[in-house]
Amino acid sequence: MARYIAQRLIAMAITLFLIISISFFIIHSMPGSIVDDPMLPEDVKLAIEDKYHLNDPMPIQYGYFLKDFLSFEFGTSIKVQPRVPVFDIIKAKLPVTLQVNIFSLILTIPIGIILGIIAALKKNTMADHIISIMVIFFISVPSFVFAALLQYFIAFKLGWAPIMLSPEATLTWTKFKSMILPILALSFGGIATITRYMRSELCEALNSEYMLLAKTKGLSQVQATVRHAIRNSFIPLANIIIPMFFGILGGAMVIENIFGIPGLGQLSVNSINALDHPLTIATLFFYSLIGLVTILVVDLSYGIIDPRIRIGGRK
Amino acid sequence: MDEMKNMKLSKEDFEFVQLDHDIKDEKFQGEAIGFFKDAMLRFRKNKASLGAAWVIAIIIFMAIFGPSMNEYTYRQQHVEWALLPPRVKGLEKIGMFDGTKVMEIKKESMEGKYQGAVVKIIDEYDKEYNGVKVPMVKAKINMYKVKGADDVYFWLGTDSIGRDMWTRLWRGSRVSLAIGIFAVLINMIIGVVYGSISGYYGGWVDMIMQRIIEVIGGIPSLVLIILFVMYLGSGIVPFILAMVLTGWIGMSRMIRAQFYKYKGQEYVLASRTMGAKDKTLIFRHILPNAIGPIITQATLAVPGAIFTESFLSYLGLGIGAPEPSIGVLLAEGQKALLEYPHLTLFPAIIISLLMLSFNLFGNGLRDAFDPTLRGQE
Repeated sequence: MARYIAQRLIAMAITLFLIISISFFIIHSMPGSIVDDPMLPEDVKLAIEDKYHLNDPMPIQYGYFLKDFLSFEFGTSIKVQPRVPVFDIIKAKLPVTLQVNIFSLILTIPIGIILGIIAALKKNTMADHIISIMVIFFISVPSFVFAALLQYFIAFKLGWAPIMLSPEATLTWTKFKSMILPILALSFGGIATITRYMRSELCEALNSEYMLLAKTKGLSQVQATVRHAIRNSFIPLANIIIPMFFGILGGAMVIENIFGIPGLGQLSVNSINALDHPLTIATLFFYSLIGLVTILVVDLSYGIIDPRIRIGGRK
Repeated sequence: MDEMKNMKLSKEDFEFVQLDHDIKDEKFQGEAIGFFKDAMLRFRKNKASLGAAWVIAIIIFMAIFGPSMNEYTYRQQHVEWALLPPRVKGLEKIGMFDGTKVMEIKKESMEGKYQGAVVKIIDEYDKEYNGVKVPMVKAKINMYKVKGADDVYFWLGTDSIGRDMWTRLWRGSRVSLAIGIFAVLINMIIGVVYGSISGYYGGWVDMIMQRIIEVIGGIPSLVLIILFVMYLGSGIVPFILAMVLTGWIGMSRMIRAQFYKYKGQEYVLASRTMGAKDKTLIFRHILPNAIGPIITQATLAVPGAIFTESFLSYLGLGIGAPEPSIGVLLAEGQKALLEYPHLTLFPAIIISLLMLSFNLFGNGLRDAFDPTLRGQE
């Protein structure tokens, strides 16, 4: 196991390095200059660009970049928040994105699982059909359409919740109230995904032979379902819940945009728009790291959740 | 035993059953049903998917012919007629799409600015303004009369610079559909070729090709797409190319899995023994097995591409003005959502319908091509 994890970590580091290098070249070959004030004299502009080595040839810039990167020095933001270390900016933006998304998950997972169990137990009845229609509807309609509908009807017409996120820094009751709509808009898709998955897994489990065995041994249908079928169908569910859990760190850019949430999604768009290279690379690095860690955790969790699955080459 | 021995058989005891006519297999009753015909039969039974196919057909029809159904073009501006609500001849008499808007106005302006345009007074009240009570009226007002456009009909209203929303909506659907369909077609071609090579040859070729996929797939695709669109500038072609960057990976993985499933089977071995070349084995013997999953996966990928396009438009990376797309219209509407909901409503309906029908259509196709998958989502 330890050997397998070590191998995976090395492979991950190589992938991460390649990703960062590719992003470096894409980002630095983008046209435009960070100095966009036309009133600034030419020599000042050159001096600013020189300070960040932007006028050196690409390989030399890459050399500087690698030197900093290997010593985990990501530098400071050039434009979005000048002279602030990039990871401090990310740290500052992270909490609000995390809050919205964790609340959304708290709502999504139990509702999704419960609806999935209902649909599977009442397979091919009215309840199942209604849930299926709901699932296909929630999966298809984009989250930003839900966001617009909620904003117009719930917030504007009925006035039940604020239209925009309240700007308070700490999590207060008013802030939570203004978060309800973005949380809802983010949750619908996730609920539908989990419901759909749970239903198909549980349907399969209910028809399996161990259920028959459990019942012949004298368990009632309810006991057999709760103790065997549902527990077994939770295993594959980990495959989608773990990525969801890490995916929340990426944030939902459009939802953040619509409700004016100053989170990570907005930050990455702003940094690309402003040609703020160190910040862009840092956000990219952050996203890639999360993506790769997710894959690793999912792979490792197979073995932990379900001991029947063995990882690595050896038996 | 003895009896048998004594039995004598003469030539006359035998007769020919059939000497005059040759033996034939019984003829098939009815016609042979091929793979696609079989799938069509199953598909037709699925009412939801059939309905979805019709919705897609109607939207495609409207995307092609809708913009030329009235006299306005998608870029023609009528600044004096900006932000008009929807108004349709005929429907206006029954109170729908009648070009009216509920507004709260000062009572005195009923005689001035809004003279003759008030259709119905809903409520009257007083409002405190700097300590003075101002009589206010909540009334239904015919915006077309107010803006001096009595005989003009904008079926879905106009946007903030007076462009006809009907024309822009269908032209936008055309652009979004084109981006979705072309992106998926290119993804399909790249995915099939890449997956076939990787799956068929296996070994170190496969190893290297899969590591490449791992690196490309490891970069968060949305960030990659954003970077790419900013680098190339906005437009339909950069959008399609940006979606191709990582979009083909899913298709290639599926094709590779198909090759691993079939390349070891006896019929492939038999064909190879008889001297079939790699090309024949790949394209004639193994790939056709994957035709059903390919079509299904491609159909299910179209709404994803349309979604990504709208998503980018929301972030302000939409295709350049004045060309509309559903995403651009939604993003424009979002800015004036609370005042003029009709600008958001219609594009939202179209994109929801498109996503819903492509998903239902794709699910129907999957069940039709492979009935064993039915019920699994």
